[in-house]
Amino acid sequence: MKAPQENAPLRSTFPRGPRVRRQLGFMLAPYAVGLVALVLLPAAATLVLAFADYDLVQPPQWTGTENFTELAGDGIFRTALFNSLVFAAVAVPLRLLIALGLALLLHRRARGVGTARTAAALPAAVPEVAYGLLWLWLFNPLYGPINQLLRVGGENGLTALGRTPPQWLTDPTDARAAIIIMSLFTVGESFLVLLAARLVLPPEVYELAAVEDATGWDVFRRITLPLIAPVLGLLLVRDTILSFQVSFVPALVVTDGGPPPYATTYLSLFVYRNAFEYLRYGYASAATMVMLVLTVAAVILQWRLLRRWR
Amino acid sequence: MTLSVTGLRVAHGANEVLHGLDLTVARDELLVVLGPSGAGKSTLLRAVAGLTPVSAGRVTIRDRDVTRLRPGQRNVAMVFQSYALFPHLTTAENIAFGLIVRDMPKAEATERARRAAVTVGCGHLLDRRPGQLSGGERQRVALARALVREPDVFLLDEPLSNLDAELRVEMRAELKALHARVGGATLHVTHDQVEALVLGDRIAVLREGRIEQVGTPDEIWHAPATTFVARFIGSPPMNLLPSGGPLSGLAPPGTLIGIRPGALRLGDQGTPARVERIEVVGEDAHVYLRLGEHSAVARVPAAERPASDETHVTVRDGKVHVFDPSTGKRA
Repeated sequence: MKAPQENAPLRSTFPRGPRVRRQLGFMLAPYAVGLVALVLLPAAATLVLAFADYDLVQPPQWTGTENFTELAGDGIFRTALFNSLVFAAVAVPLRLLIALGLALLLHRRARGVGTARTAAALPAAVPEVAYGLLWLWLFNPLYGPINQLLRVGGENGLTALGRTPPQWLTDPTDARAAIIIMSLFTVGESFLVLLAARLVLPPEVYELAAVEDATGWDVFRRITLPLIAPVLGLLLVRDTILSFQVSFVPALVVTDGGPPPYATTYLSLFVYRNAFEYLRYGYASAATMVMLVLTVAAVILQWRLLRRWR
Repeated sequence: MTLSVTGLRVAHGANEVLHGLDLTVARDELLVVLGPSGAGKSTLLRAVAGLTPVSAGRVTIRDRDVTRLRPGQRNVAMVFQSYALFPHLTTAENIAFGLIVRDMPKAEATERARRAAVTVGCGHLLDRRPGQLSGGERQRVALARALVREPDVFLLDEPLSNLDAELRVEMRAELKALHARVGGATLHVTHDQVEALVLGDRIAVLREGRIEQVGTPDEIWHAPATTFVARFIGSPPMNLLPSGGPLSGLAPPGTLIGIRPGALRLGDQGTPARVERIEVVGEDAHVYLRLGEHSAVARVPAAERPASDETHVTVRDGKVHVFDPSTGKRA
């Protein structure tokens, strides 16, 4: 019998022909149908509706660029845009830093590391609404455990430093901070990806660094960081894309877009309110297009910066 | 002595891997540690480098006790089996790594890296990254990185085992020439007996965490101290037969005789033997024989291999090694 060739190209052994193509098409069909029905068609509809006025009752009215002109002069939209950009600028780097720190801390074998890894990954698996409700309790200014903890050592309801504890749900700055803090615990996916990236790095390069007397900082700066930079870059792009979405449920459940003036109204919440509460689907679609353009611009910018850095 | 290992014990949990090794490497000497997989060769190297903690014993380098020092304080350089080159750094940066992390000015480090690269013959590769280098070129870069810091001891962990057969022979010769030129106390670990015989000023044969024999390649080949060394060095391995067996009269009764396959002569005279199979290896033929209830193998010129299943065996004069069957040691 002829021995199989090692490392032979996949193409040479992969069966082809009309029957195989039919089978492949059949297997691909559910994903293709889902992609078309749930992503491409809604995206096309959103693009069309962005240039129309539509309230689900009357047929869509073509309005040209009127929705975009209105968005430019809409103070709430500008606030939502500002909030989203601040959230992305602060939360994305912090989330990546935390995920990286956890991955580097927990990549070694030691007692309790398995439990710690599970604990680090678990919050990302909690349903978003349940997660939001949990934080609603944690952030409660009166009986919430966070403020109770901050009041330890203080008197008359003040912190040990004599300051008023943060008013997470009523102060605009504190509320923005609260939404960012909430996002910092759902880094499970990034943590797992970075943990895997760190675990596959060859141990010999670290042993060589030890023989060469490299310090921990040298090892991180000159070895670990450059070697996992491609993964970090990918996660940075992915998290930036997600950042416009992950703020939605916390803002809706915990702060309800407030406190005034729209301190935690992000683009996603702005779109939701206009579409499903005010039935302004055309206007919401236009805002969605702006969100899309911003995301793509941010991704292109990051990609170019990363390529230049590498 | 530049490197001295005394009573070295290393344990992985309850399992002791090295059982009190004593070893010395002189200045400019290349000592090859040879043994089968699992003998503890790499563990010995890692213990000397400080990468594996020792449970007992002492490691001294140039009369300085380094047993409790971290790897970076021992002034050793190591070449790993996988070369451990940093994929994101150029050849020059890889070679200069140890100097840069020791805060040497970049210009000086780069110049020293260039000189080391020229010494090992990779001076034209300074701007390339490991992904753009062949196996042999990577090995040169790893050697240059070890040389650049001018360490007290070089530790080489099977540095040729990732190369194909042809390149291995070429690099083996270059490694020997490089050591002759540069010098330095070198501990070289391998499981390849030919590599050990060709490269080593001395060879330490390791078995299950214990040293079986330390000696020059000639001593190891011509006077193996134990039956293990006798059979581990040489291919096909040495034949071991009881002195009272089919080839009797060659040694005192009650001993074990060792005869290298090349020392057996096949012909019309001597002890009758049955040919079980013949392997032709280029110019040579390995003839597997049945001598009564014992087996033996003879190496003869391929053109002179037996034509029939029956032959006769004699032993060349003075080519018999005698061992104590109870201890396995040379009698």
